Amino acid sequence: MLANSAELFKFTRLTLIWLTLIFGSVWGACFIVGVLLPTLLLRACDNEIFALLAQICQYLTPLIAILVFIPINAMFMVLVERRGLALFTVRMGPNRVGPDGLLQTAADAVKLLFKEDIIPTGADAWLFTLAPIIFFAPSIFGSIPLLAAITGNNDLFAITNLPTGIFFIIAASSVPVVGIVMGGWASNNKYSLVGGLRSAAQAISYEIPLVLSLVTICYLNQSLNVVEIASRQTGGFLNWNIFGGGALNGLDKYLNALINGSSNANDILQAYYPSNQWILTVIAIAGLVVSTIIAFFMYITAACAEVNRIPFDLPEAESELVSGYNTEYSGIKFAIFFLAEFTNLFIVSSIATIMFLGAGNNPIPQFLIDYLFKNVTFIPQTINAITQALSPLINQIHLINPITFWSVVWMIVKTYSLVFFAVLVRGTLPRFKIDQLMDFGWKRLIPLSLLVFFIVIFAKGVINTNV
Amino acid sequence: MSTNLETTNLKTDEMIINMGPQHPATHGVLRLILKLDGEIVRHVEPVIGHLHRAQEWQGQNRTLFQYQALIDRVDYLSGMFTSLAFAHACEQIDGCQIPPRAQYLRALVCEMNRISSHLLWLGTFLIDLGALFGFPFYPFREREKLLDLFEEIAGQRMMFNYIRIGGVQRDPKPSWFEKVRKFTAEFPDRIDEYEAIVTQNPIVLKRTKGVGILDKSVAMDYGVTGPSIRGSGINYDLRKTRPYGIYPELNFEIPLGQNQGDTWDRYMCRILEMRQSNNLINQCLDKMPEGEISGKKQIAGLRIKAGEGFSAIESPRGVLGCYVISNGSDKAYRIRWRNPSFCNLAVLPSLLIGRPISDIMAIFGSIDVILPDVDR
Repeated sequence: MLANSAELFKFTRLTLIWLTLIFGSVWGACFIVGVLLPTLLLRACDNEIFALLAQICQYLTPLIAILVFIPINAMFMVLVERRGLALFTVRMGPNRVGPDGLLQTAADAVKLLFKEDIIPTGADAWLFTLAPIIFFAPSIFGSIPLLAAITGNNDLFAITNLPTGIFFIIAASSVPVVGIVMGGWASNNKYSLVGGLRSAAQAISYEIPLVLSLVTICYLNQSLNVVEIASRQTGGFLNWNIFGGGALNGLDKYLNALINGSSNANDILQAYYPSNQWILTVIAIAGLVVSTIIAFFMYITAACAEVNRIPFDLPEAESELVSGYNTEYSGIKFAIFFLAEFTNLFIVSSIATIMFLGAGNNPIPQFLIDYLFKNVTFIPQTINAITQALSPLINQIHLINPITFWSVVWMIVKTYSLVFFAVLVRGTLPRFKIDQLMDFGWKRLIPLSLLVFFIVIFAKGVINTNV
Repeated sequence: MSTNLETTNLKTDEMIINMGPQHPATHGVLRLILKLDGEIVRHVEPVIGHLHRAQEWQGQNRTLFQYQALIDRVDYLSGMFTSLAFAHACEQIDGCQIPPRAQYLRALVCEMNRISSHLLWLGTFLIDLGALFGFPFYPFREREKLLDLFEEIAGQRMMFNYIRIGGVQRDPKPSWFEKVRKFTAEFPDRIDEYEAIVTQNPIVLKRTKGVGILDKSVAMDYGVTGPSIRGSGINYDLRKTRPYGIYPELNFEIPLGQNQGDTWDRYMCRILEMRQSNNLINQCLDKMPEGEISGKKQIAGLRIKAGEGFSAIESPRGVLGCYVISNGSDKAYRIRWRNPSFCNLAVLPSLLIGRPISDIMAIFGSIDVILPDVDR
């Protein structure tokens, strides 16, 4: 038994309660705007204007979902971070406000809202006010294309399904650094200035490996569309992009046939991995799998730098620069910086999930589930019965769509695991120095990402010509 | 067409930045006036005195008995040592005999205090390196146990007032010794734990190896003492070189820095010293004699003979000296402290010049300066 199992239990309980809260409220808002309001409008009067209004309501759903989601999610993530760090560092963490500290961050948010909004003497008031907005805005519009992938291309969110989704997200994610530099410069504080400049240098260096590792995945999937990339990873973890982006598809199908006792298992293997060229094929597949795994970790590293997490939190290095670019900020502006920081962390985690970890797809292959539950018939039967009983309700009022539901559940599990991993890293590693950071970025990560990209191109070529 | 980069007319200015006295990493109230060229430090000027409390003057205007209670504030992380230095100086003047049990108890609590001081240093040093919320609290877990033990014998967790002129204040119960034994039994494992996280951590190595190299001659010129000078490879520890108390009877080695005296060496020196102190505590416990605990009556009108005395002991930060002149009354005529942090801080500018901002914290953290000890 773990020594701090009681704390661990409390942490899990807290996470579950907050997740229910977040997704309940987001779902509620979506339901009201996307289903309830349009239905009522159409029932109230059956003319064109009302139909148009109903449609506008439906189109607004993604935006409402994001606007409801971001503040609550940031509150939750701050709490998770504080409690998680407390777990790792044998402390208690915030446990006084509300039942077991559940409302700590809500109280903090209220406090920040009521604080005096100070603009320091000599600061450029315009830019000083603009900086948090520029920092925050991209996290709203950058996360819009993700919604389609997260919800499994639900009808209400299909409008956010951009053909060039990942391109748009990357473009949006490179804007916040402008806000940091702006805030650092406008604060009339030397620490802020140094923090802002550091941030600019860091963001430029680490955007390249970040984008190159994502480009690798886009190349493997021949698509920039996040929904399509997500849908290509269905059917178990072997199809995930982190394991070669489809290089192991054949293995997956072979295992499927083998477990089901199908006779054509060897034919499938032969079709995917022809034996006349097997050495080349094996090398190509191994290269692909290793490259994509490296690409994943490279993405995580670069993303950490991108969102200023330890060990790359130089722009706000507390022991050096007091608080870096946000030293002079207080009240609501500081709250917005804080909000955006955690939202960015969530966004990069969900990009990692969508691009590498199979998005909202079940990690366990369907054939394995079938095989395991072959003898235990009552579980699938129960699930079927429940689905049957609920289906009129689902169809009638669009209460919940099973595809969307499971997609969101798996997204939550995977994304928050990555967030938790980031907290773990924060609890373990010290900070880099700025010159070491640049060295690591330019001399290690960028050559490595280029190498990975080329390996993927050649390996993919070999596999394509062989099959 | 060739462009000559050196003749570009890009104007660069040096920036003066005022680090402290309110800064998260200056350990209290040190103020550093830095002249920066980009991120490189060109000039450093430490400004001290924000925490000056006139400890020496207070000592001359209070009775010896009253002043004993104030001494712990000279260096609040190693109160046992400051008390010990003062007691040694007064006993030198008075010539009173200290019972062996008191001697052993003094060594015991001092070594415990050394561990607790080094543990706090470890935590703050790691915070300085940017392990912001990470392991600082691991050292504090053990430090808490030590403070509980101190509380049991001295009634206070940091301002002990335990070591008195002539002996010690209270005789601990046998159960207290058992608790200390329990602590020493598990402490080596804890240090292994810290070392597992820190010692071979690549980022820590990158931040500390070859950073802030303290040359032997520079260290000696500035009068640097304690683990900082031992990290540079100079074997100067008063417990060995000028033994006091019962240290000649104990068996121990002085850990020295293995490389050129960089931040890493000073870190390693302190880690090894903690292990050494743990060993010393065990030896003290084994050899603990029975008998009296004080050679002088602890009364409000405590007096010592006329004369002057100087004592120097090895505190966690270096050589701590106390000079007392007495005219035979209940007040000291003159008191003077020689504080290790003050001398160690003097070497800081020569270590910082030419280094980036991030190194300030690593270097400043590694020489372990306590500001009340600098300002008194």
